[in-house]
Amino acid sequence: MVEVGVEYTKVSEIRGPLLIVEGVSRVSFDELVEIETMDGIKRLGKVLEVGQGKAVIQVFEGTTGLSVKGTRARFLGKTMEVPVSQELLGRIFDGLGRPIDGLPEPIAEEFRDVNGAPINPERREYPRDFIQTGVSVIDGMLTLVRGQKLPIFSGSGMPHNILAAQIARQATVVGSGEEFAVVFAAIGVQYSEAQYFKRSLEESGALRRSTLFLNLADDPAIERIITPRVALTVAEYLAFDLNMHVLVILTDMTNYAEALREISAAREEVPGRKGYPGYLYTDLATIYERAGRIKNVKGSITQMPILSMPADDITHPIPDLTGYITEGQIVLSRDLFRRDIYPPVGVLMSLSRLMKDGVGEGKTRADHMEVSNQLYDAYARAQEVRALSEIVGKAGLTGVDLKYLDFGDAFEQQFLKQAVDENRTLEETLRRAWDVLSTLPEGELTKIKEVHIKKYYKARG
Amino acid sequence: MTHVNDNVLESIVNKVVSQVESDLIAQIESSYAQSLERLRASKVSLEAEYSKIVENASKQAENLKRQMIESSRLAVRNKQLLLIEDAVNDVFKHAISRIDSVRAGERYEAMMRRLIEGALDAIGTDAVLECNDKDRDIVDRIVLEIQHKYNFSIEVGNSIDCLGGIRARSKDGSIILDNTLDSRIERLRPILKKDIARLFMV
Repeated sequence: MVEVGVEYTKVSEIRGPLLIVEGVSRVSFDELVEIETMDGIKRLGKVLEVGQGKAVIQVFEGTTGLSVKGTRARFLGKTMEVPVSQELLGRIFDGLGRPIDGLPEPIAEEFRDVNGAPINPERREYPRDFIQTGVSVIDGMLTLVRGQKLPIFSGSGMPHNILAAQIARQATVVGSGEEFAVVFAAIGVQYSEAQYFKRSLEESGALRRSTLFLNLADDPAIERIITPRVALTVAEYLAFDLNMHVLVILTDMTNYAEALREISAAREEVPGRKGYPGYLYTDLATIYERAGRIKNVKGSITQMPILSMPADDITHPIPDLTGYITEGQIVLSRDLFRRDIYPPVGVLMSLSRLMKDGVGEGKTRADHMEVSNQLYDAYARAQEVRALSEIVGKAGLTGVDLKYLDFGDAFEQQFLKQAVDENRTLEETLRRAWDVLSTLPEGELTKIKEVHIKKYYKARG
Repeated sequence: MTHVNDNVLESIVNKVVSQVESDLIAQIESSYAQSLERLRASKVSLEAEYSKIVENASKQAENLKRQMIESSRLAVRNKQLLLIEDAVNDVFKHAISRIDSVRAGERYEAMMRRLIEGALDAIGTDAVLECNDKDRDIVDRIVLEIQHKYNFSIEVGNSIDCLGGIRARSKDGSIILDNTLDSRIERLRPILKKDIARLFMV
C-alpha cells in the first residue's frame, strides 16, 4: 500500500514561484502538493519536474512569505481535482475553486482532474446550431454557434467585459427550451470588472445558472494557470454529464499567458517570442480545445476567451497564437470605441469561421450569409472611400462613392451601434442590415441573389 | 358737410373694424385649427410615448420579478446548503466520538498495524512514531514485534493529541507522514460528505 500525504521538510531552494524539495521519492509529475508554512498556513502547488530525488513544485498562491526553513511539502498522491455537481451553479469560487461566497465547500458528485479528458476527435460533432446573442454585429456577421471557440481580441480600457456580459445575459438558442449555463473565469481582472459581471448576471436573474471563478488582479499570479482549467472542468461536467449548453467566458487570457511566462522564466527555459515559452501555442490549445460538442451528447461547451492585446498589437504572440487555434475572432476597434460606438467591433478584422455552417435556410434565414457578405463588401468599400475623401475631399467623389460614405455612417449608427441592454432578434438585425444596404443603389448589391433583393431591398424615392 | 364726412369716416372705420375683425377671426380659427392639429399630433406622440413607457415599465417589472424570484430561489438553496453542512458536521462529530469509544479489540489493533506498516513503507526503517496516550501500549507492542521481525530501528516518541493512529517521521526529521485517524478522516471528508448529505436530501 502506497501511503499518500508524505511530507518533506528539506526545501533546498525557493526560486520565483518555484519551490525545490530534496530527498523525495515516489513523487509523480503534476502531483498536487500542499505547502505548509511555519505558521501553519497552507498553500497548494503541483510538481513540475521530478528526478534525482528532487521535485520542482510550482506554488499556485506564490512563494511570498515562504522560507527554506520550516516549510513543508506534502505530496497528495493525485493531480489537482475539483469537486463537480449541479450545486456549483449560483456559486462563487476563487481561482483555485475554493468557495468565497460564505457558503461551505460544495458537496461533490465526483472529483475531476482539472486537466480534463481530451475529447476523442472521432467523437467530436461539428458545431452547427446558431446561438442568438442579441448583438446585431455578432448575429448578423460573426455568428456564434454552439461548441465554437470565438475569442474577443481587445485592448486595455475597451468594453470587452461589457460585451461578454451582454452575450452571457442574452445568449439563447431560439425556439429551444434547453438548459443553458454560464461559467465565468476571471483571470487577473480588476475587482470592479468581476463585480460588474456578477451584478450583471444577478440583475438578469442569470446568476442561478452561472458559476464564477474569480482570480483578481491582486490574487497570486501563478493561480491564474489553474483558474481556466478549473472553470473548464466544471463546464465539462455541466455540458457532458448534465447535458447543459455552457458558455465559458475566460477573461483575460493575456494575464494567463503572463503567468505562464513567469513560470517559464523561473524554470530558466529558453524563451520564445517576447519571452513567452516556446510551448505557449500547445498550452493555449490545451485550454481552447476543451470547447466543442460530442456525438450523441446533448450538451455543448462554447468558449469565449477574452484577451487584451498589449499596445493593441494583433501580431503579439498571444492573439497571434490564439487565432491559430480558435474558430475566428471578434476584434474590438479603438477607433470605433473613441467614436462612442458600442459594441466597437472592427468587423473587417473579425471573422467567425463556423458561421457558414450555422446560418441559412432552415437555421436562420435564407438571405443571412449573403447579407453578411454584402455588408462586409460594402463596409470595406466605405472605408476606402472615407480614406479617399480625406485626401481629395467630398467634391472629388463620384455619386456612388458618396452613397458608400452614407452607407458607412448608416452601418455604424444603425446596425453596429446598440445599447448595452438592447437585445435584438435576428429578424430585427436582418431588417436593420437591409435598411442600411438599401442606402446603396440596387446595382451595387452584387453578393445577394436577385430573389432576396426583390423581397427585402427597400427602394428609395 | 360735416355730417357727410362723419358718415364716410364711420363707414371707413366700420370697414376697417370688420376687416380687422375678420382677419382676427381667421387668425383665431387658423390658430385653433393649428392647435387642434398639434393636439392631435401630441396625442399621437403622447400615446406612443405612453405605450413606450408602459412597455419599458412592464419589461423592467418583468426583469425585477425574474430577478427577485431567481435570487429568492438562490437564497433558499444557499440556506439549504448551510443546513446540510451543519448536519454533516454533526454526523462527523458523532462518528468521531463513536470511533473514540471503540478503541479496544482486534480490529483496532489490526488497523494500527496497517497504519504503522504503511508509514514505515513510506518513510523508511529509521523512524520515530508518535501516538496518543491511549494507543501507546498497542503501538509499543506492534513496534516491538516489527523490530524483532525485521530489525528496524524504530522509536516511539512523545505523545500527541489525536483521535488515534500514528504520526511517523524519519529520524532526521526530513520526512513526515501523518497517519492519524484525524488526518485520514479529513482526507476522506469530501467523499464521505456526499454520502452523508445524500441521507438528508429527500
